[in-house]
Amino acid sequence: MGRMPNTPTLQYFSTPMTNSEPTSLLSGYRVLDLSSSMGAFCGKMLRDLGMDVIKLEPPGGDLARWEPPFAKDRKNGEGSLRFAYLNAGKRSVTLDITQEFGRKAFLELLGRSDVVLESFEPGYLEAHDLGYHDLIEKQKKLILVSVSGFGQEGPYAHYKTPDIVGNAMGGLLYISGDPAMKPCNPPETQSYYYASLFACYGVMLALWQRETRGIGAWIDTSIQASMALHEHVAFNYSAEGRVMKRAGSQHQHNAPANLFQCKNGWIALFVTQNHWPLLLRIWNDHDPALDDPKWINSNLRRQHADYINAQVTTFTSRFLKEELAELFQKNGIPGLPVNSPSDFMKDPHILARGFFGTVRHPILGTFLQPGNCFMVDGARGGPMPAPLLGQHNDEILRAELGLSMDEAPS
Amino acid sequence: MSPNQILQGVRILAFTTGYAGPYAGRLLASYGAEVIKIESKKGGLDTFRHYGQHKDIDAAPRFIECNLGVRSLAVNLKHPTGARLIRELAGKSDAVLQNFRPRVLDKLGLGDDELRKSNPKLVIVKLPGFGSEGPKSNYGTWGFNLTAFSGITYLWNHPEQDRPIGSQGVYPDHLGFVMGPTLLVAALLNSRRSGKGVTIDLAQIESTAAVLGTTYLETSVNGDDPQPKGNYYEAAAPHGCYRCKGEDRWCVVSVRNDDEWRAFCRAIGRDELLKEARFADLSARLDHRVELDRIVEDWTQARDAEEVMHHLQGAGVPAGVVQTGADLLKDPQLRHRNYFSPFADSLIGPFEIPRSGFMFRGATEDPLRLPNRLGSDNESILMDILGYDRATIDSWRNEEVLT
Repeated sequence: MGRMPNTPTLQYFSTPMTNSEPTSLLSGYRVLDLSSSMGAFCGKMLRDLGMDVIKLEPPGGDLARWEPPFAKDRKNGEGSLRFAYLNAGKRSVTLDITQEFGRKAFLELLGRSDVVLESFEPGYLEAHDLGYHDLIEKQKKLILVSVSGFGQEGPYAHYKTPDIVGNAMGGLLYISGDPAMKPCNPPETQSYYYASLFACYGVMLALWQRETRGIGAWIDTSIQASMALHEHVAFNYSAEGRVMKRAGSQHQHNAPANLFQCKNGWIALFVTQNHWPLLLRIWNDHDPALDDPKWINSNLRRQHADYINAQVTTFTSRFLKEELAELFQKNGIPGLPVNSPSDFMKDPHILARGFFGTVRHPILGTFLQPGNCFMVDGARGGPMPAPLLGQHNDEILRAELGLSMDEAPS
Repeated sequence: MSPNQILQGVRILAFTTGYAGPYAGRLLASYGAEVIKIESKKGGLDTFRHYGQHKDIDAAPRFIECNLGVRSLAVNLKHPTGARLIRELAGKSDAVLQNFRPRVLDKLGLGDDELRKSNPKLVIVKLPGFGSEGPKSNYGTWGFNLTAFSGITYLWNHPEQDRPIGSQGVYPDHLGFVMGPTLLVAALLNSRRSGKGVTIDLAQIESTAAVLGTTYLETSVNGDDPQPKGNYYEAAAPHGCYRCKGEDRWCVVSVRNDDEWRAFCRAIGRDELLKEARFADLSARLDHRVELDRIVEDWTQARDAEEVMHHLQGAGVPAGVVQTGADLLKDPQLRHRNYFSPFADSLIGPFEIPRSGFMFRGATEDPLRLPNRLGSDNESILMDILGYDRATIDSWRNEEVLT
């Protein structure tokens, strides 16, 4: 696999379509984000949609501030890059909601908020008299969105769920990786991201319900249930009695649908029956045996994937991955290079769309960060830095709520 | 009220094919939206209708799975009358959802401005692979190759391998089909108060990159070139996937701190490990993780994966069975959540299917609905929504408008 040299990033900064602010689609709504890394991406999406997201952190800070990866030489509460990405654009207030001052401030803020996001162990908020039924006393139309490993109730509700447990119990892990090896976890914390996406959709539905019918809701998001929608794993078994297994990079119904060797790396090809003749056309010296019309049939090619893949490799291995992708695309074949993350960050298309923008963070410095992953009427909300711990205590607790900070435990 | 009716009264026109676009429509229909899927036998059928070579184009399992609950309008968009009918329908709809390549609809006279002409509140959500604009916007993409382009394939591997692996699947589709409906409802909430519909461009390559954000920061903040880590995690040891009794049975275990380490040692009856300096704290355990993995697997491989999970979780140690499709269908936790919606009968026989990652607490969910057969809603849509009479509709059938 080709390693890309380290590149200073600012030199390829170009954001013609990027604003410095998030979109204002849902401005005016306020979210109190009590979550840690399980639900943080939901809070980030709500921020990207324009909501005011206030992160309420316990006095030592959100535990996610101590989760890797870290900025070099900054293995401390302000150095976590995971925290920096997942909490971009949020405001931070330090509050111990289990103590009197914190509880009072929390309930004050609740009266001025629309959504509460949390990812505690199920039952934690109830145990502190801050469960859904307590909270709606203060905010009748509240939308409470909970993210947990298995949901608020049921036999596994109290099972601990680091990301790898979510991927395992949801069924994605079993089909992931080289069949000759152990199942392989995907990069970062995909089960947390995915549950957070569902949680965010749940918030949209609950908001719609509130705007049209005047009622609140409690959304119970399960990491396992979110992951179990992946790759037809459950449906294939239920409808066809088929257990999907690990297959490396080989797609279950198609060939060539795999990664193929190039001179400087690999290309991802997915060739359907419509693309097969196009592939043969640009591959002048292919084995004439492949011209047999029987090979149009994708199922047959899949049954003989080893043969087909070996043949296709004799062609792909003559090219650089980027040049081959361009050749394929020009000829209507959907091939794309296997990029390293830094390849992706330098891609001209990604740069032209202004996906990355510059943020300035008082501790981490100035660097490129993804902006919103969607555009509204052709404009993209640019990235914002994550807050320092308690950065907004003063503007929210004192200036907005008028609380005397003398009461706050130091 | 059932959550499956929340979006009642919202009408969405769906120009969708494959996985992400149709499934986005399904997730809107599941919550009560009237999703009208527009296709035509004149070169505009959802590609999943042919998936698996079923003779009946309404009976491809993949198509059914991804299009639950949608209505079907068969209309030839290349016929001027067909395109006109769509413009009229757009005037009576709240949103358009589409995952065609950029400018396909524009060329048919169905660009954003034309669709919005009689309905300024119309929301338009597009899910093109590479976005509507930019030098590669016309590239053909699948979930499979978008995974590769983003960097996810490169990283989704065990360390030090001689080739990348990634996934056999189409990870990005799953991201797009949740984010699409999210943005669509967000834009509806916005147009409800602003009186103005927006166009959302959700490039699937960017919704894919959104779940690799931390990794990009490792590159941009640290100048690093991140490499595959497999089941290694720098904040837990042991951490990984361990062989259990039976063929291809596995359980994951993750020990993140000293409390979990103590609980783990006791749970496997190895208290003496607590005294060993090489395992004294997390950083020592990370240094000796290869030895730890052996200790864990010595214990797990003599036991059923389920037993390993229940025993360890019962002791406060994170663990989980590496579940197969068969395991999911009998999972007691998913059953407790009423997670699967059953279909006693369908063109493909009986089956059950996952509903959603969340539930509304205290609410009872309705069963999901099958997709309607191609064109089976033509009459009711054209009569009830647009007010045409039967004679006019019949004449369009003969002119090959409705096909």
